[in-house]
Amino acid sequence: MKRRDFLKQTTFASGMLFVPQFLKAFEQLPNKTFSNKKVVIIQLKGGNDGLNTVVPFNNDIYYQKRNNIAINKNDVIKISDEVGLHKSLQPLQDLYNKGFVSIINNVGYPNPNLSHFRATDIWQTASDSNQYLQNGWVGRYLDYTKGYPYKAIEVDESLSLMMKGKTQNGLAITDPKMFYNSMKSPFFNNVVRNYNDAHLSEHNLGYLYNTMIDAKSSAKHIYERSNTKGTSAEYPKNIFGKQLKTISQFINSGIETQVYYAGLSGFDTHANQQITQERLLKIYAETMEVFIDDLQKNNTFDEVLILTFSEFGRRVKQNESKGTDHGTANNVFVMGKNLKKQGLYNNLPNLGDLDKNGNLKYEIDFREIYATILDKWLEVDDVAILNKSFSKLGFV
Amino acid sequence: MKSAHIQHLYNRVGFGIQPKELARLSKKSKKNVVNELFTVSKKITELTVDTSFLKELRLKDFKDKKKRREFQKISRKKVFELSSAWFHRLNNPSEILREKMTLFWANHFVCENQNILFVESYHNMLRKNALGNFKHFTKSVSKEAAMLTYLNNKQNKKQSPNENFARELMELFTLGQEHYTETDIKESARAFTGYTHTIAGAFKFRERLHDANQKTFLGKSGNFTGDDIIDIILEKKQCARFISEKIYSYFVNENINKKHVDEMASVFYKDYDIENLMRFVLLSKWFYADENIGTKIKSPIEFLVGINTIVPYKIEKPKQILLVQRLLGQILLRPPNVAGWKTGRNWIDSNTIVTRLRLPSVLLNNAQIAYSEIGDEETLITDFNNRKLRKKAFIKVTANWQAFEENYKKEANKDLLHQIITTKLNNGTAEMLLRNEQLSKQNFVVQLMSLPEYQLC
Repeated sequence: MKRRDFLKQTTFASGMLFVPQFLKAFEQLPNKTFSNKKVVIIQLKGGNDGLNTVVPFNNDIYYQKRNNIAINKNDVIKISDEVGLHKSLQPLQDLYNKGFVSIINNVGYPNPNLSHFRATDIWQTASDSNQYLQNGWVGRYLDYTKGYPYKAIEVDESLSLMMKGKTQNGLAITDPKMFYNSMKSPFFNNVVRNYNDAHLSEHNLGYLYNTMIDAKSSAKHIYERSNTKGTSAEYPKNIFGKQLKTISQFINSGIETQVYYAGLSGFDTHANQQITQERLLKIYAETMEVFIDDLQKNNTFDEVLILTFSEFGRRVKQNESKGTDHGTANNVFVMGKNLKKQGLYNNLPNLGDLDKNGNLKYEIDFREIYATILDKWLEVDDVAILNKSFSKLGFV
Repeated sequence: MKSAHIQHLYNRVGFGIQPKELARLSKKSKKNVVNELFTVSKKITELTVDTSFLKELRLKDFKDKKKRREFQKISRKKVFELSSAWFHRLNNPSEILREKMTLFWANHFVCENQNILFVESYHNMLRKNALGNFKHFTKSVSKEAAMLTYLNNKQNKKQSPNENFARELMELFTLGQEHYTETDIKESARAFTGYTHTIAGAFKFRERLHDANQKTFLGKSGNFTGDDIIDIILEKKQCARFISEKIYSYFVNENINKKHVDEMASVFYKDYDIENLMRFVLLSKWFYADENIGTKIKSPIEFLVGINTIVPYKIEKPKQILLVQRLLGQILLRPPNVAGWKTGRNWIDSNTIVTRLRLPSVLLNNAQIAYSEIGDEETLITDFNNRKLRKKAFIKVTANWQAFEENYKKEANKDLLHQIITTKLNNGTAEMLLRNEQLSKQNFVVQLMSLPEYQLC
């Protein structure tokens, strides 16, 4: 036996020592298996201007209120006699034509909040606007399914409220190898291996050790599983492209993760909106095109649903800096292979009927979308997770 | 006073204690040690940043959109500066107890704002009242520009009441859920109508927008003002109980002992004097009971500042101070929402535990930490493609090992263990440490701070 092989085997063998310890972390296996479908959640951070994304190009009010930032009728990608997409979304056109996209318009909630942070909280926790929840809807999904941390992965360095439940948390991870390596130090191994007090788990110290063991086993699991499948697809070379590439790698390698969360920042376009939005939507659309193509080539697109939202839309009337201020209702994109309702899910907002601040009045509560995904796609009890009953939509 | 008890006291009301100080205090009685804490904290040192850029601003400038934007931009930078200054202060505290209480109240009267004048004023208001009278404190909070903005009380007008502040006042600041009705919220919101502030942040009462009519609140009727509402709330013993419970769970134990909290509430209800309440807690026997020692999960700030007590270090780039706080889940002046940070076990998830166990090496041994530049909601990323996708960074830190060697020169590795870890060690870990006892003092202390046990105090 070559020396290197011997070393490999012995390292492996000594790694085996941990197994019984790690099994502890897996003890609370869910007693019921749920659907193995996947949801990819993408947030356009900063409040994307929905009206300049899905453009009502025959609407006079639209052109009146946005005299120098409205999108010209001839510049849109027409998807109906009234509605066109921003030209940067061109890479999505083919997907749209194939029926892989459903655009839900005018999504919001009662008494909207116009702060980025608070509005993001509301979307992440699925709370009412005057309710402060300390856990997120995906986290509560983990509670419900008693899922391991890696059941829900945020491609980031720190974990958002969305991914935190009452008893279970998701995992924030940008690079499985790095995450794995960060815990591979002999010192950590020693710490984990030496943890031998099974009765401590009800105490804080036990909780700390168990979380550590959990993290380590999750890291190992993800690293080993995701290693099997590299991707040859060429993703755009930017942060968002890299995030989606990581997600595709996870999905294509068959990891049991069910919810992924990624984000694209920079949509807070108070001034000179056009250039910024054009560039950001292009990054978004190009990446989604490669991502979906990658999934299709690996025959995994069937089991994936992609949800794109922004914490709020923008004011109907533009401001004086060729930008838009914080607004309310917005459109949500749902992408998937077997959508029940393709294309425009509902009508565009009525620009003639605004609230007292000049903002859109929402038509569909965002939690109806969550409820639909939980009930019809992930096949769990949406009321238990959302703490409330919402009517279901018909996109899946 | 027993060393272990002094350590416990200083872990909870401060951020740990150095050997020399510990030796000095152990010659004193408990009463004197506790008294000294209050004497030292009589002083109030305000926290400020340079806001001279504002001197040239005139009211009319705020009507100009471009100038207003410019102001907002500088202001945001200044808030960030204040956050770093606060972190620096926490690491070099003079009024230890007041410092810790300020941190506590910042997670009780939770508020966030982007206007540096408002943020600075609010922060120093917390400092001033941290050991003062709770009634005066609550009234001050209700009149701060930052709070008037944060919970929309300045939009609360006679013709169109906004209930946000009234609701949180009772739910989060004074009584807790289920001790008031929706009608109480509506009625009290009316009493707070007309509150606003000047552009510089001073409280202003607009008679014209105030609803002076009769209100019925918590069973009482009258033409109440906002201050009256706070008086009425504080007449309820539940308020004293609610605050006592919060203090108990922060300073003593998250598992509430009802008997102890009842004792506290009785003390507090008499005059709502925070100093008296704290004195009662710190002099009580149960504060030093075994079940309360080494059982609290440190907050990220307690964790970071606690390391500094042992090995003084300075993160050179203010941005990296925020980065470290972000990775651990607590950015000063950036609370998640009005309910504040969830504490205890909520600080710990798979990511934060790993970061915590790695951080001592990162800060003190120049280990690398990797992170990606994500940019927050308000950043306009202009150079998207050229931006590095992932940053592997050395957190630029200057660690003062000399000070450590000096402060701990009398302690052998075995003594270090008891200085740094106050909880009972897991057996296996204790054996491991015993095997590593021959390590250099510096390596050994980094190892101690990298243990799950070190997360507790």
